[in-house]
Amino acid sequence: MLRDLQADFAAALFNERPEMAARVRAGRFPAAQHLQVYRNNVVEGLTGALRAVYPVVEKLVGDGFFRYAAHAYLGAHRPRSGNLHDFGDAFAGFLACFAPAAGLTYLPDVARLEWAWHQAFHAADAPAFDIARLGAVPAERHETLRFVLHPSACLLASEFPIVHIFEINQEGYGGDTSVDLAEGGVRALVIRRGLTVYVEPLAVGEAGLLTALAAQQPLGAAVQAVLAAQPDFDLTGTLTDHLRRGTLVDCLAE
Amino acid sequence: MNPAVAVERPHGPIPPRSGIGLRAEHYRELVERRPPLAFIEVHSENYFGAGGAPLYFLEQARAQYPLSLHGVGLSLGSSDPLNLEHLRKLKTLIQRFEPALVSDHLSWSSVGGEFFNDLLPLLYTEESLAHFSARVTQVQDYLGRELLIENPSSYLQYTESAIPEWEFFGEIARISGCGLLLDVNNIYVSSQNHGFDAYRYLQTLPAAAIREIHLAGYTVNRYPEGEMLIDSHNALVSEPVWDLYAHSVRQIGPRPTLIEWDTDLPPLEVLVGQAELANTILAREAADAA
Repeated sequence: MLRDLQADFAAALFNERPEMAARVRAGRFPAAQHLQVYRNNVVEGLTGALRAVYPVVEKLVGDGFFRYAAHAYLGAHRPRSGNLHDFGDAFAGFLACFAPAAGLTYLPDVARLEWAWHQAFHAADAPAFDIARLGAVPAERHETLRFVLHPSACLLASEFPIVHIFEINQEGYGGDTSVDLAEGGVRALVIRRGLTVYVEPLAVGEAGLLTALAAQQPLGAAVQAVLAAQPDFDLTGTLTDHLRRGTLVDCLAE
Repeated sequence: MNPAVAVERPHGPIPPRSGIGLRAEHYRELVERRPPLAFIEVHSENYFGAGGAPLYFLEQARAQYPLSLHGVGLSLGSSDPLNLEHLRKLKTLIQRFEPALVSDHLSWSSVGGEFFNDLLPLLYTEESLAHFSARVTQVQDYLGRELLIENPSSYLQYTESAIPEWEFFGEIARISGCGLLLDVNNIYVSSQNHGFDAYRYLQTLPAAAIREIHLAGYTVNRYPEGEMLIDSHNALVSEPVWDLYAHSVRQIGPRPTLIEWDTDLPPLEVLVGQAELANTILAREAADAA
């Protein structure tokens, strides 16, 4: 009895179900009105959770449209865990196929960026890399080095200026809020440094290097590919910068 | 990240005075100002992440205050199997932060593998009582410690329920040996929504099992048929709830008391002020009892 009552109740949270109303005592209010309180609490609660992860998406589409999209998302992607931080992982993919948002071509990539931000916020900590360790590796083995990125690091690429869109829609942003989609795409690193999550646009070579290193390519192979695309790439400067700032947190020499 | 941890965290049972729920908006101010509080309480699930600011600030706060871990996601009353991953994360958190109290709710929130992030009402029958008690026992065995169960606010009653909530709630403690977390605001909210006597609720509870009290504010939904109270945790504790609280303290004795405030957060000093009011009542009732 417990199981079928809970299954009926769950179904009634998202759709009108007269069979559930029949199992609710009409008290001071009609049964359907008692049920409606839970329906509101659940839908509002989950919509609020989605809103907390995707504030820029919400700002871009407005409260009404966001609610509409959130309700549609709930139809297909209810939480699979009691930990609300896991909820919303499929929202970017959902938006990409959500016909009413088809005109906002950049929206799914903005959502991807916000999900990466949310993941970075909760990701594991990692101690900074001790650069002196590199000095101990003989020069002839440098090309065999493989690096570990910070656990919060996520590399993104978009054909839209999503970092610009993200920045001008942050709370407290006081500058020019216009954006020209024709300014083109961006490569970006989302990473937590200390307690703060950063969204950093990357130069082409820099993005290529970090992407190759994230795929565990040895330094030699990673650099060859980057130099082919950008002959004047400053390897030492870029590598030192990301070691110092904690993008790269560990390395292994063969 | 290497948070500064005090050499000696406060350990041992929480004294029967008041504390507040800690939310992210108050992290910095709490650890900098260190208001006099008997304990702090957090939602366990907010600290299930691997690192970053939440765990960093919880370390800082824990160095100064005893801690209560309050869960909203165990889904104890669900007919699904217990979620092992959730339990494992809770156990890891307990091992790291050494809370004085660990609690969750007399409710369910998932079925068929889907979670609804809400405290849904239990069926109050013998079948449900046996099921819920067995689940509490399972969790206590897994965690190797006592769990507190909190009475929820409710907005409906099932036609099939056969046991009053106050009897069901007390029986859970008697059968499983768990502790109880008495939410006075929830009693008041439910009593208004269903038309029972809030004072009657307290009469038969096993007082010795009650380890903690919760206080919070509610909001009012108005319908043509009348008012429905919603346990919204976004307002000051109401006068009738303070009265019921004073009565509870007289009835069961002083207990660690928490001011819960989860949305539309006011400045930290408002929460501390509410906690001071609770302390005043605790002190007054103790003096009257002496």
